[in-house]
Amino acid sequence: MIDIKGLYKSFGQLQVLRGISLKVSDGEVVCIIGPSGSGKSTLLRSINLLERPTYGEIWIDGKLITPPDPYLHFDVIRASNTYRHMAQERQLPPDSPEDLDIVRRIKEQDLLKPREGRPYLDLMRRIEREHRVDDHYTRRRIGMVFQHFNLFPHMTVMENMVYAPMHVNKLSRQEAEQKALTLLNTVGLMDKKDVYPATLSGGQKQRVAIARALCMEPEYLLFDEPTSALDPEMVKEVLAVIKALVESGISMVLVTHEMGFAREIADRICFLDEGILVEDAPPDVFFSTPKSDRAKAFLEKVL
Amino acid sequence: MQFKFDILIPYLPQFGSALLVTLQVTISALLLGIVLAIPLSLFKILPVKPLNWLAAFYTSIFRGVPLMVQVFMMYFGIPLVTGLRFNAFQAGTLIFAMNSAAYLSESLRGGIRGIDRGQFEAATALGVRYPGMMKDIIFPQAIKSVMPSIVNEFISLLKNTTLIASIGLVDILRVGQSVQTATYRAFEPFFFISVFYYVLVMLLSLLGKLLERQVNKSDRH
Repeated sequence: MIDIKGLYKSFGQLQVLRGISLKVSDGEVVCIIGPSGSGKSTLLRSINLLERPTYGEIWIDGKLITPPDPYLHFDVIRASNTYRHMAQERQLPPDSPEDLDIVRRIKEQDLLKPREGRPYLDLMRRIEREHRVDDHYTRRRIGMVFQHFNLFPHMTVMENMVYAPMHVNKLSRQEAEQKALTLLNTVGLMDKKDVYPATLSGGQKQRVAIARALCMEPEYLLFDEPTSALDPEMVKEVLAVIKALVESGISMVLVTHEMGFAREIADRICFLDEGILVEDAPPDVFFSTPKSDRAKAFLEKVL
Repeated sequence: MQFKFDILIPYLPQFGSALLVTLQVTISALLLGIVLAIPLSLFKILPVKPLNWLAAFYTSIFRGVPLMVQVFMMYFGIPLVTGLRFNAFQAGTLIFAMNSAAYLSESLRGGIRGIDRGQFEAATALGVRYPGMMKDIIFPQAIKSVMPSIVNEFISLLKNTTLIASIGLVDILRVGQSVQTATYRAFEPFFFISVFYYVLVMLLSLLGKLLERQVNKSDRH
């Protein structure tokens, strides 16, 4: 399960994500939709740490993949000097119950400085030690498919596919090639195994990219607008491959502009606008009776 | 005025061995230069400020100091201070290699910068660690754009190695000078040497073109 808690992301002054919380259960297919600039891609890219969240935590199968966020652990906040000062200022007892208003104020003013005293640091370290896993461990278990395919142009299709399994997962070349062949067969590109990516069409490149991601046997698969860079006649072949994956039961998070497709395959639709998760609903509910005005306005434009 | 190219004939064996010296210095300096350029270009792109400064300083030295001075420094100056002893061949090769590294690292950095961010992201997303990513994914692509610079560097090295005559290594130029001293004729030996370098450089340019085509084979449709 992917558990995203209170995710904030800023690029300089620009706040792209403003407090996103979202869970993806095993085997679930979640489509993230929303207007451009709403933070969809940033959210997706945070899940395999291509972006580092400013605040918030991401947990995958009970393992913390981001640094712990003190704001999400009230005992840590309470151990901080800042909290004690503020509690005094506002005449709160030092062991006051969870005062979310104070936490929010600390967060907004970002008063929490690195030097927060031993108990604070010890608690942070404890969380880190007990739950944190390293980036490579995370990325090995999460596959990603990009809008622009990002195949390695100096490697053949086969080399593209076996590189990571051999170098990251330490498979033998034979095992890796065996797996690659099976996957190339499922995406219907067996005959292209020895060509360079430059000779492939966009649709074929994306199918190879999907197969390359699958070669690592990921438990989760992320798609970042997988059909947006494709000529219209090639969209179908890629969607067909993705659809076949849905049936295989792998957990997926897709950022997509293909509304019909999202409606067809998704278990849940997450509608993002201006960095906020505005709606999170099953596709039938979302597309027929969107609750928010923003979602209604968006759907009117795209449908 | 009469040309007497036949006066060169007795010196041909000397020219032959001198050519060998020139090529040895050039090729070993180029290879060593490439090897040094790789970590140097990494120093320039890693997000570690002191390393960036160090690499920038290194490059600026070799840009700012005349090559002849660099050669003298390496052969006469450095041994006095450090106690290291180089023969002329080692000193020449080393200083030319360090010099090439400065220039090549600059174009290698440009080559790395020019690579689509998506390549880094795809490798990262597959769980590939930084050293492997640079070695197998980024450098092989960067080298393509650096290929012309490497050939250019080869050519200018080949020509610049004439400077090693000044520290007493017998290269082609030095043989030419001894022909001049012995026969009092200057045009023939230096004309011969000019043609020699010219042909060599033309051959190298051709080789460069072939190499470029070779490394670009994955781009062909």
